[in-house]
Amino acid sequence: MKHLLLRCLVLLGPAFALPALAAPPDPSAVRAHCSGCHRESSPGHFDRISDMRKTPEGWEMTLFRMHQVHGVVLDDDARTQVLRYLTSVGGLAPAEAAPARFALERRPNVQDLSLGDEMGVMCGRCHSLARAALQRRDAPEWLKLAHTHVGQWPTLEYQQSGRDRFWWESATKELPAKLAALYPLDTPAWRKWSAGTHASPVGRWLVWGHAPGRGDYHGTAVIAARGTDGYSATYTLTYADGTALNGTSKSVVYTGYEWRGSATLGQDDVREVYALSEDGARLSGRWFVNGHAEVGGDWHAARAEGAPAVFAVLPRALRAGAATEVVVVGRGLGTSPAFGAGVTASAVKALPDGLHATLAVAADAAPGVRPVTAGGARNADAAVVYAKIDRVVIEPQYGIARVGGGKVAPVIGQFEAVGYIDAAGKPGGIALGPLPASWSVAPHDEQAKAAEDVKFTGTMDASGKFLPAVAGPDPQRPFSGNNVGDLAVIGTVKDGDRSVSGKAHLVVTVQRWNTPPIY
Amino acid sequence: MSIPWSQTLRALASGTAALLLASCGGHAGSSNHDILITAAKPDRLFVIDAGSRSITHEYRIPGADGWLGGIVLSPDGRIAYVLVNHMESIAGIELSSGKQVFRADLSAPGERVKCLFAFDVSPDGKELVVYENPTQLKADEYVVEEPRFAVFATNAGLEAKAARTYPAPRRVHMILSKQDGKSFYALGFELYEYAFGDGKLLEQRGIRSWDHPGHSIPDLLAVWPVTEGTGEFVTPIYSNATVPGGPAGGVPTTSLMTLDLKNGALTYQDFEPTAALIFSAVGSPVRKEAFGVYSALTKVDTAQGKLAKRVNLDHTYYAVNLSTDGSEVYIGGAMCDVGFYDAITLEKKGNLRLPGCPDQALATLRVIHHP
Repeated sequence: MKHLLLRCLVLLGPAFALPALAAPPDPSAVRAHCSGCHRESSPGHFDRISDMRKTPEGWEMTLFRMHQVHGVVLDDDARTQVLRYLTSVGGLAPAEAAPARFALERRPNVQDLSLGDEMGVMCGRCHSLARAALQRRDAPEWLKLAHTHVGQWPTLEYQQSGRDRFWWESATKELPAKLAALYPLDTPAWRKWSAGTHASPVGRWLVWGHAPGRGDYHGTAVIAARGTDGYSATYTLTYADGTALNGTSKSVVYTGYEWRGSATLGQDDVREVYALSEDGARLSGRWFVNGHAEVGGDWHAARAEGAPAVFAVLPRALRAGAATEVVVVGRGLGTSPAFGAGVTASAVKALPDGLHATLAVAADAAPGVRPVTAGGARNADAAVVYAKIDRVVIEPQYGIARVGGGKVAPVIGQFEAVGYIDAAGKPGGIALGPLPASWSVAPHDEQAKAAEDVKFTGTMDASGKFLPAVAGPDPQRPFSGNNVGDLAVIGTVKDGDRSVSGKAHLVVTVQRWNTPPIY
Repeated sequence: MSIPWSQTLRALASGTAALLLASCGGHAGSSNHDILITAAKPDRLFVIDAGSRSITHEYRIPGADGWLGGIVLSPDGRIAYVLVNHMESIAGIELSSGKQVFRADLSAPGERVKCLFAFDVSPDGKELVVYENPTQLKADEYVVEEPRFAVFATNAGLEAKAARTYPAPRRVHMILSKQDGKSFYALGFELYEYAFGDGKLLEQRGIRSWDHPGHSIPDLLAVWPVTEGTGEFVTPIYSNATVPGGPAGGVPTTSLMTLDLKNGALTYQDFEPTAALIFSAVGSPVRKEAFGVYSALTKVDTAQGKLAKRVNLDHTYYAVNLSTDGSEVYIGGAMCDVGFYDAITLEKKGNLRLPGCPDQALATLRVIHHP
């Protein structure tokens, strides 16, 4: 065991030995700005504040509400200090936040958590259940949250999502204990995490990811310390078609692992919501465009230093009988990557984040998942060989777009056509990843046809991006109705001389007026 | 109960529709002496002559703070009591002068009180009973308190304090005085009847526990207490009805609930598998009919319990009322106009756009008859 541990430490390299730059929690800002109402009942324990734990976004929402409803004014410095303190002493351990990170990452069209019928109706009718799952309180404090709900929004018991039940009775008598059992304040995970020393993100990183509608990208990142408690990052990235996706970022790491960055990436100003893995070896999450959280990309990063490793092959799908240009993202890959029988690599060229190669795939190369080996490293399922696309699944299968206008931006719908091949023993088949497709929309049903939803709701572009129409009364529609509707989205992939299509359902709906960081 | 998504959303989505129709003045040949009362954000109270489709008075309600809701009239039609100030105040406005003659500010330091739509005046006009939802505002927490009925003397002036209070159930959305003046009804989870004097619960009957075999627990929430034409309160109520050979969850069904304020008679009558949303309804004083409104105007034959006629509207309206002679349907709320429709044909007869296109929102559309 000792030997293994030593070996791991060596492999991890020097960056991992550095503690994070976060200063020790300093309550002075909270004492100065919050204790007027939140009594410091014992040193460092502020009533209510110290009785709950949340994500950085959760605390940001608290500060927003304190400002909007209770008139608390904090300048940027004070706000930063308060946020740092709250996320340090009242954050979530990585394992606690993990199941609901999709909400922090603002992933569009994802399936919410399933917490049973009762939680579904009591919380999930208005919020994502992720929002509840990203908080920790004991029963008395969950009870106080029920009081906050009705105290602040007294119509809650009357609205359609609340009035079919004895909402107040359930919320005050039954739910606090259940929530406290699910999401208690004091947990072993948090005790361990909050007492530990956390890795620093400083160093060189290999980066790869996928931006729906735009494609795969890869490259490198260099992260350096900024000031006493922040980081700056420089990105040298490239889309698969060669377009540069360079950028810079300024970030803070909250709670020892929650990377929150403001970055420019290519032409966009983006927000980064990443998590540094507990061992400090990975930085992963999603970036999204400011003001359009539905537009963004997955982000994966691994340390540039370390033992040889194959992280990803871009693109993942290799068509039999064709030549494919690929990038293998990895460390110490050497010059002879191997993709199994029937696949020959040539023109191998080293890249800062791995290598580039031309793969000739024999017409009779066996379809299926291919392990990829390079430089002694092996990735068991980094690539797939296919001879014929058996199915195309449009993702998301059920999507939402929202009309926009005035102060509320539209929410676009981005679709991708994911190819699949059938395989023995794999009921769902093997995914080939998103493939180039042509796109169209059609009425979802007879009612949509009669209401001419295709005409009124927006337009689909060549990349599978649905751009919703302008919101508001449309005198051309019945009741001067809004430009909402119900569409079928059809994506068609060319597979040699064949075409393979898939269909999804798109609801184009009304604006969302309230857009907090966690829905 | 579930209504298909697309139907619901389409209907809701039309709620913001703009109205470009101009006022149609010069309504000819009517013996209509109805006066309509409506209100609009931020603080406007309108007195409308229904016959000429014209505004006779426009008043500003002091301290409305940008929000107003239900309107209740004094029995003599002199005063309109309007819920204002984000449900925290009731302003009594004299309709001949626009003067505020009554004011109950429900909240106090440390306690925020909201009236969730439910208030009514006693038949003798001397008392106002108000449903109060109080919340204690502590330094770092809200403490939701039990609701209560508060009774105010209508002559208590501009700083009216409750003469008496008594406990109330949660989630009451409407109060309706019984015509004998001895009790009032509160609509919420159930239909409750309370004594005006001491707040004693006299009777509790179904809404949630309605005696309507083959129907699910119903959904009812209408905040427009319109009873002036008939002494009856009529409201849509929705449930899933079990139909032989039908779907397992039942068929979404629209019924009318009628409460007779003269004698307390309560009836439920199905009239269609839900085909259109109806927000509020009113009964006819001259025929066995009721009218409901949302993005369509619906006429129900209450003698036979069936849909009589339905016409789509230019946009959504929340509030409906009927002329005293039963010949014209008035529709308002939601946006900035009042529509006039023929009660027989449902044909549009006129339209009055409120100046500046203010938002009537939840305002009740009331009728006063001047013979």
